[in-house]
Amino acid sequence: MHEVGLNHYLILSAVLFSFGVMGVLVRRNAVVMLMSIELMLNAVNLTFVAYGRFLNNLDGFIVVFFIMTIAAAEASIGLALAVAILKRFKEVNIQKFNLLKG
Amino acid sequence: MLLQEIVFYFLSFLAVSGGLLVIALPNPIYSSLALALTMVSLSGLFFTLNAYFLAGVQLIVYAGAVMVLFVMVIMLFDLKHEIEAFSSGLRGTLIKVASVGALLGLIVGGFEITKMSSQPEELTGLGSVRETAIILFSKHIFAFEVISLLLLVVVVGAVTIARTRGGTHA
Repeated sequence: MHEVGLNHYLILSAVLFSFGVMGVLVRRNAVVMLMSIELMLNAVNLTFVAYGRFLNNLDGFIVVFFIMTIAAAEASIGLALAVAILKRFKEVNIQKFNLLKG
Repeated sequence: MLLQEIVFYFLSFLAVSGGLLVIALPNPIYSSLALALTMVSLSGLFFTLNAYFLAGVQLIVYAGAVMVLFVMVIMLFDLKHEIEAFSSGLRGTLIKVASVGALLGLIVGGFEITKMSSQPEELTGLGSVRETAIILFSKHIFAFEVISLLLLVVVVGAVTIARTRGGTHA
């Protein structure tokens, strides 16, 4: 008797979240960092849906709906900023954006 | 039952391998493809969790609009010289991997300590479109209106930020 329980979904979500954190830390491309942030948001969506299902509460699903909206809006703003940065600096390697460095 | 477990492990294998490929592949187009794979497998996991409306929205909004936006922006860049895809220094990378591993261990340890009853409840028709719509438009109507206002602000802001001066040619 090895049903797929709540912990299975939570551990999967934690693993995906940690992959997103790794992507933000390790990668240098600005767009890939934005994609890692989207991966983190997806992992959190899975957590909310799992809890909403296993606690028989629809509020978890509604929160996921709003998170998806916010994440799409934030991705579009982030990409607009990345396009503006590309036009200014002519590259996307974040280690070259050091004009604020003391 | 066995079919449930097979579906869950298959979808989770796809999601985890997609997540790993996002951070490991140097070419950003391949990373975006791997992220699209992760999002589609997460949509499948939403189906297994009886969140049918959310699974559809995930496919339409995330895998269908956000990933297309990412691919379009990546194709704007000329990325033939993607040699330095990862941050340099082995010692720094090992510290980062160790800290993320510690974070993952803390999260999973937190689950295992607070053990909840993990028996799935019986089907109550909970995540259908009708139920979700009823509760969205009755209990969360204020947040719904606020988020529509926020989307208006985001659209105006994105166009303002990415606008070129002097017309359509950059």
